[in-house]
Amino acid sequence: MSGPLAKLPGWGIAKGMLFTLYRFFSPKVTVQYPEVVQEISPKHRGRLILLYDEAGNLKCETCFQCAMSCPIEIIDMGGVDTKNRYHVHWGPAEQYAERREESPLRRSGRPVPDRSFQAWRSIDLGPLDRILVEEDYDPRRMLRILERTQQAYDHLPVAALQHISHATGAWYSEIYGIATSYPHLRFEPGRVAEIGICRCPTCVMLGAGRVRQALEEALATEVGGVSPDGAVRLTGVECGGESQNEPLVALDGQTQPGMTADRARELATSLRAGTARPGAA
Amino acid sequence: MELRRSPKGTPSILLSRVGLYDPDGPLAEAHRAGAWTTWRRTAPTVSPQQILRAVTESGLRGRGGAGYPTGDKWRACADQPADVRYVVANGFEADPGAQGDRTLMERDPHAIVEGLALAAFAVGASRGYICVRAGNDVAFRRLGAAVRAAEDAGYLGSDVLGTGFDIHVEVLAIPGGMVVGEETVLLRAIENKRAQPDQRPPYPSRRGLWDRPTVVNNVETLALVPWIVANGAAMFRDIGDNLNPGTTLVQITGAVKRPGIAEVRLGTAIGPLVEQVAGGVRAGSRLKAVLVGGPGGGFLPPDRLNTLLDPLALAEVGAIWGSGAMVVADERTCLVEMATLMERYLSDESCGKTIPCRIGIRRLYEIGSRATSGLSRPTDPQLLLDLAADVRDGALCGLEYCAPNPLLTGMRYFAQEFEDHFVGGSCPAGVCTPLRVVAGAAQ
Repeated sequence: MSGPLAKLPGWGIAKGMLFTLYRFFSPKVTVQYPEVVQEISPKHRGRLILLYDEAGNLKCETCFQCAMSCPIEIIDMGGVDTKNRYHVHWGPAEQYAERREESPLRRSGRPVPDRSFQAWRSIDLGPLDRILVEEDYDPRRMLRILERTQQAYDHLPVAALQHISHATGAWYSEIYGIATSYPHLRFEPGRVAEIGICRCPTCVMLGAGRVRQALEEALATEVGGVSPDGAVRLTGVECGGESQNEPLVALDGQTQPGMTADRARELATSLRAGTARPGAA
Repeated sequence: MELRRSPKGTPSILLSRVGLYDPDGPLAEAHRAGAWTTWRRTAPTVSPQQILRAVTESGLRGRGGAGYPTGDKWRACADQPADVRYVVANGFEADPGAQGDRTLMERDPHAIVEGLALAAFAVGASRGYICVRAGNDVAFRRLGAAVRAAEDAGYLGSDVLGTGFDIHVEVLAIPGGMVVGEETVLLRAIENKRAQPDQRPPYPSRRGLWDRPTVVNNVETLALVPWIVANGAAMFRDIGDNLNPGTTLVQITGAVKRPGIAEVRLGTAIGPLVEQVAGGVRAGSRLKAVLVGGPGGGFLPPDRLNTLLDPLALAEVGAIWGSGAMVVADERTCLVEMATLMERYLSDESCGKTIPCRIGIRRLYEIGSRATSGLSRPTDPQLLLDLAADVRDGALCGLEYCAPNPLLTGMRYFAQEFEDHFVGGSCPAGVCTPLRVVAGAAQ
């Protein structure tokens, strides 16, 4: 209604009153709270409230688990109320970048592993730039770019992935997805010993399951992972059904004959202790 | 893996030229063995439609495990209007315990390249890719040499044999885990994308590599094509099962006298194959089960070994054709443990795109491992069946669809053994260590 009508004096007031009249006759949305309880989504978490037991004692043990799991680190444990009980502070997330530094966990004095900070350690981008030029900054050759980056840096540094993303225009998440979906690309730095175990039906029949379990226990990781001390990687290899009497276990690509669960555990333990002699099985 | 003699009366198609020429040698030697004769004779004189018709009439089905009619696949690709079409030869060989495709690629690379040329000619594709698993260096080298030799001889390249067709073939080494053997995942891997399957339809024959119509065939399928074109569809149809004719490579390992690979007719029973190809079960052992189709296959008990080697017949009893690998388990094997470890392997290799696959197979493994460590809950058998059905319903690719097979066929045919684990907390085979071993069972 922007025609001549809009120029009439008082038209704006009339329009406003019309809206009021419309709202006057439409159904009310107010919920009579204590009598009527609105349905809440099962995923709704609402405000964090500390629980008290029947005796009125606070159940919170200030374990910091809520503070630790909060993705933006705005939960803070601290302060006491009038009855000398802990309570939880939690504030808006505007300044969470600062709060990350003064997070309650860090203030508690315990050493806090901070993967996000370590992973972004800067690298010398020279070799990477050369690779990118040679591969024409082409995202369609991403696999080759990543393989060559891994060759140049001995692993895939997160900083390199981000630089590739900037330079090629491919999404970081897409590059990260490619890097994690191919088992030969890896993020852990350094050369490590590699124990391979075959998981084919033939080897499983010959006891590969028990050997694998022994290896995983001794290395404290699963197939595809690296032991926590970074000494040994556990991977899958393939026998192609050739195994006859024992499952195929390979150390750095060399078949280790006569491998039982106990000997596998011994091999893994000695590799972690740095006393292994490859090939002397 | 050694090649074994085929059962009596099996025509030799796939392995007919193996050993007749040196795969590393010159092309002339391969010529003498019969390589490329079909291509040289047919390409200048026969139309693509005639080749397409021959393959359709022959009833050839894909050897990758699903058994889809190859002619229909080619037809769908050829009928799709496009500026460029692709043919992809899948030699990835996903099954960690099989090497039938690898044997073929290493021993007779020219048959695969020739089959690929015929396929590209029939569907009008100008580019072909042969995908070999990274690390399979011998096959990669020999296929590459075969392609280069064919290019030099004018069988591949621009304006092949004066027909006006361009067929450019490239051999690719594809890295990755088991799931890359699946066709849509393989295409994503060629495109240098994340190795995850795509929703089908649209099938790759309509929208495949770089959204162009693409034929994805197993290398074994392609290796059969020159023979079909040379000898005619009718002759191929006469071999083996009428609905699913031809020969295929099977690999029999495990507790048998002579593990190995052999060419067999489709539609023969599995039990006699174990006897004829692999010489039967090792002395001192008794056959307990045969795992047909690789890690996602099914366990068949001795009384089901009359099942025919055929995708439909195998699906009926809960197994799959898969990689054509059969593992013979003797009575010292605990099938609960073996099925559980198959689930573990598949959960390792799951790409994680669908949640029933990423979490469901892991849970199937956990249910199995509770059974093998004597910690089963009363609800576990039912939970397993429910979960298996859900995993199957959510399947995007073959890995997920077949994943519950080992546990399901185990529960179906070896109910007593599973019952012993789930309820009795004992292992009749004496394998699962924390369990009570049934007296006298394990020797």
